[in-house]
Amino acid sequence: MHTSKVLVHNRGHSEIESEENYLPLNVVRLSKRFGGIHALNEVTFNIEEKSIISLIGPNGAGKTTFINVVTGTYPPDAGMIYFQGQNITGLPAHKIASLGIGRTFQLQELFFSLTVLENAMVGCHTRGRAGMLAAGLRIHTAKADEKRLREEAMENLKMIGLEQRASDSISSLPLGERKLVGMARALGMRPKLLMLDEPVAGLAAHEIENLVRLIHSLIDRGLTLLIVEHNMPFVMSISERVIVLDEGFKIAEGPPDDVRANEKVIKAYLGE
Amino acid sequence: MKNSEIDRTHIPFIIMIAVIILLPIIIPSAYIISVMVFVAVYGVLALGMGILIGHAGLFSLAHPVWFGLGAYISGILAARGWVSPGIGIIVSAFFVALISCIIGAPILRLRGYYLACATFALLLIAQIAGGQLTNITGGHEGLLGIPSLSLGGFVFQTDLHYYFLSWALCIGCFWFCSNLIHSRVGRAIRSFHDSEIASKSMGVNIPKYKLQLFILTSVMASLAGSIFCFYLCFTVPSFFGFHLLVELLMMIVIGGIGSIQGPLIGSFVILWLRELINIYFGKIFPVMTSGVDSIFFGILIIIVLIFMPRGLAGWVEQSFNLGRRTYAYFKGPGA
Repeated sequence: MHTSKVLVHNRGHSEIESEENYLPLNVVRLSKRFGGIHALNEVTFNIEEKSIISLIGPNGAGKTTFINVVTGTYPPDAGMIYFQGQNITGLPAHKIASLGIGRTFQLQELFFSLTVLENAMVGCHTRGRAGMLAAGLRIHTAKADEKRLREEAMENLKMIGLEQRASDSISSLPLGERKLVGMARALGMRPKLLMLDEPVAGLAAHEIENLVRLIHSLIDRGLTLLIVEHNMPFVMSISERVIVLDEGFKIAEGPPDDVRANEKVIKAYLGE
Repeated sequence: MKNSEIDRTHIPFIIMIAVIILLPIIIPSAYIISVMVFVAVYGVLALGMGILIGHAGLFSLAHPVWFGLGAYISGILAARGWVSPGIGIIVSAFFVALISCIIGAPILRLRGYYLACATFALLLIAQIAGGQLTNITGGHEGLLGIPSLSLGGFVFQTDLHYYFLSWALCIGCFWFCSNLIHSRVGRAIRSFHDSEIASKSMGVNIPKYKLQLFILTSVMASLAGSIFCFYLCFTVPSFFGFHLLVELLMMIVIGGIGSIQGPLIGSFVILWLRELINIYFGKIFPVMTSGVDSIFFGILIIIVLIFMPRGLAGWVEQSFNLGRRTYAYFKGPGA
């Protein structure tokens, strides 16, 4: 996609240097309030290509809000979000998704009335063409679309090892597999940036190992990952850089070992 | 494998078409044919409303309005002789599409009960307007002087003509909707019913699909309304009011929410049950027939909701699966 590399007018923000314009994600002084609560307070950071960045912080620090604001679920109150140099601040969620930002959810948010395969196919939605009339009349393009999306979704299920359960209902899956369906669904969008919201919470040790392997294979395929997670051993072993939020402020950023030793971070987690 | 898949999706339609063609040959009764016309017309209505409620999660109660508009617009155009009935049907469908687009765009931003309230208000407004605009609609006296439908020189006169016309529409809509639901667009529609946040994060343009589906189902209702008015050669506002809404909801609930076949089954069951109740109880309680059927339908809804929460369609599917599993169980050890 060459279009996504075209620099869109960046509203005169001098902070954005020309080399940074092609970074997967570039967040400038992002703020979001809910009533009197500052969920995000002037958060600024960049994510480099093919890197794994973790976003940690105590409960209520604004981690999930950050994902929601970047993916367009809510508009930010202030600040700018650039995706590969393109200003995506305030775009509707479905447009941001079609540009190439995928996500999973803390509570999976799977589609329970659809099968596993159909869930993965909804993930491929943006690459279909056929509209409502074409689909209803079942004309050639709609059939071709259907076949292609089915194959792509099946490939994604194979990659995460769920092809055996393609025609099962979501309610018959255990938590670990549900999380994987969420991943397969997000991968269907062929995202360049994938944001995982608590991917290992509630998983058994061997499931975490599989997930780590999967994440590394995604990086090899050229994805960039932002992970929100509470499981510290997982975060510290997998991430290249860790960003710590507390009450909406970014309080630390750096390699895992530096962050672990940071006094502010210890204070945020343990109290004074 | 590919061949068997195509066959399987075509089987219900082939069976339906065969039954519809054979029915008047096997039982040439004008009474049965005329009830079946209503089954088809109400089936199209319930189908559209069932998709809105069961698949898209849009609790729209304005469906009788589009049915009524379709009936009145094509009826008025034909009665005044402005355009031929065939063109009138198309004009009314376009007009209904336009109105539902204008009304749907703001109203579909509402969710859940709020959407239900707003669309219910629309139903009441349309009902009152239909009754009061006497010089256009004929008011509560009804719209008279609607000629028979003629399409390209062929005049629809007998019940049998309307029977085939209405069932052609019904099967056409059923085919269209079942294709739609199993397509990319249909999955998107079902996905935002389950989780709007996940759906839009996957790139589904929710407002666009909501509006498109709203327009599509209102055009279906409009076409059904046009056939309805030419069949009866008469319309009054009370055909398209609260009573129809309740009947449609009954058809959807009894047939099965969230299935495509459900509303059609519901339409068949409700209309025939009403006929049977009227035939048998008309003899026993000649005075209270109009109230008696409501009592039966009330009891039926309670029974259906307790014993088959997914309606008749869900129950049939479940028993079919159970039967298949039992067959496999008994066959398994021997084979």
